[in-house]
Amino acid sequence: MAKKMVLFSVLGTMVAMVFMASSIIFPHPLMLVLAMSIGQGIAIFALALFLLAVALDLQSSGGSYIPAEEPAPEPAPEPGSEAPPAP
Amino acid sequence: MLQLQSTEQLLKAIALACAILSLGIGIWYLIRRPHLHRVTKTLLLLGLGVFPLIVSLTGNIASFEYTLTRPFCGSCHVMGPYLRDAEDPKSNSLAAMHSRNHKFGENSCYTCHADYQMFGAVTTKMNGMRHLFKYVTEYASTGPDGEGGPPIHLYKPFKSEACMQCHSMTAKKYLEQHADQVEQMRSGDVACIDCHNEVHPLALARRISAKMEEK
Repeated sequence: MAKKMVLFSVLGTMVAMVFMASSIIFPHPLMLVLAMSIGQGIAIFALALFLLAVALDLQSSGGSYIPAEEPAPEPAPEPGSEAPPAP
Repeated sequence: MLQLQSTEQLLKAIALACAILSLGIGIWYLIRRPHLHRVTKTLLLLGLGVFPLIVSLTGNIASFEYTLTRPFCGSCHVMGPYLRDAEDPKSNSLAAMHSRNHKFGENSCYTCHADYQMFGAVTTKMNGMRHLFKYVTEYASTGPDGEGGPPIHLYKPFKSEACMQCHSMTAKKYLEQHADQVEQMRSGDVACIDCHNEVHPLALARRISAKMEEK
């Protein structure tokens, strides 16, 4: 659920950014009004969606810290096996 | 090399750079689809929150600055004749003479037509929204200069306060030249443009509907 919300949030922000950037590059009155109303509305909605997704994610994980992609720990050597000789 | 000649251009450059960064983070997320780790969340917070906020803030200021300029006012085709007259170096109309003023010439439309009061900028921009609505609903497909549309007129009578921003009514030269009208001018019974009426001479004459109204 949270991932889907983040996905919609990212898409929304990208649409809003295209609106706003095009109004800066082509400052026609209609384009400016669209960017300042629809573009910013979409951007605010997308940000709210992202914050909600983060809140839901934190709630589901109990607020515990999920570490970033760390290398998996090496399996412990079986008892009785010897360590490989050093080269 | 890119040269930033004004604050408006600097703000536009910042807005565009932040928009590109935000789009970059968005594309990265769509391609990689990473788990919502702390690093991902921080990057997304930048891409979905911080950069868009900067784009919004700087973009709004830059856009507002641009809306004060004459090219913006002339970007609707119905304003073509007004713009051409204002930019004609040989024209002696009031609009052209004021547009040649190096202190505010680039913003001559806004300088003379903006409401002169505490919330003048707000009411002027509200009127601008009304202009846009009328432009879309009444002047679409009305010829290259909007000749087929209704005649353009001001929403309310032009007030002399706009002229008085620069032209003082207490200056010695003014009092000498306008001695018999000073009281009427100050009370608002007579406006500057009642006598100085060559403001936009070419533009109104070009309107077919205006000519028909005159007949």
